Amino acid sequence: PLHQLQPKTVPKRLGTSQRKPREPQVPRSLIKEIFRHFAKMPMTRDAFKIVEKCSERYFKQLSDDLEAYTHHAGRKTVEKADLEVLMRRQGLVTDKMPLNVLIERYLPLEYRKLLIPVAVSGNKVIPCK
Amino acid sequence: RRRRMKSTAPRSTLRKIIKKHKPQLRLAANADLLVRKEKGGGEARLRLPRAVHLNFLLFLHRLAEEARTKAFENKSKIIKPEHTISAAKVL
Repeated sequence: PLHQLQPKTVPKRLGTSQRKPREPQVPRSLIKEIFRHFAKMPMTRDAFKIVEKCSERYFKQLSDDLEAYTHHAGRKTVEKADLEVLMRRQGLVTDKMPLNVLIERYLPLEYRKLLIPVAVSGNKVIPCK
Repeated sequence: RRRRMKSTAPRSTLRKIIKKHKPQLRLAANADLLVRKEKGGGEARLRLPRAVHLNFLLFLHRLAEEARTKAFENKSKIIKPEHTISAAKVL
């Protein structure tokens, strides 16, 4: 019996590629990298999944808190003060550990320049106050 | 030699995340839009996504430290799910 070779049917692609609007989230690789950097020891895959979940929950909580503080101050825009209050409550910012020290310790130079006014030569202060 | 950790913030992502949770909440404008090169430019403000990012970094830092401690307590050489779960409970 000689049966004919059927041409393969290629599933037709629908016009434009449809990209689903994804949930905005911090890239996994970044979370992984940061966590690894701080943990300094190997971890299982599942453990990392938990870290991801925690991150999501953390952002939800953060949004709630920021809203509360901003609302309390009678504003609609989140400002530096709100975050400082938040970090104080989290016990990250204390009298011994001001926000600027944390910024210097954890953020890369280009961000530090933006966040903390630095006196540069020529009697200029960046960013301009 | 250890590779340096990348710690630049995915700023738009951070904004989007907060927007997702709180659509009506606005984040302070960027200082670079306010600051003019002229004398006495606008007031330089903290750029929020970066501050949020800093907060996120510190959160992960704490979580990692806790998980590490838990792993040590259990004489484990690797961080297992139960370690991260119990760490998350502490925070």
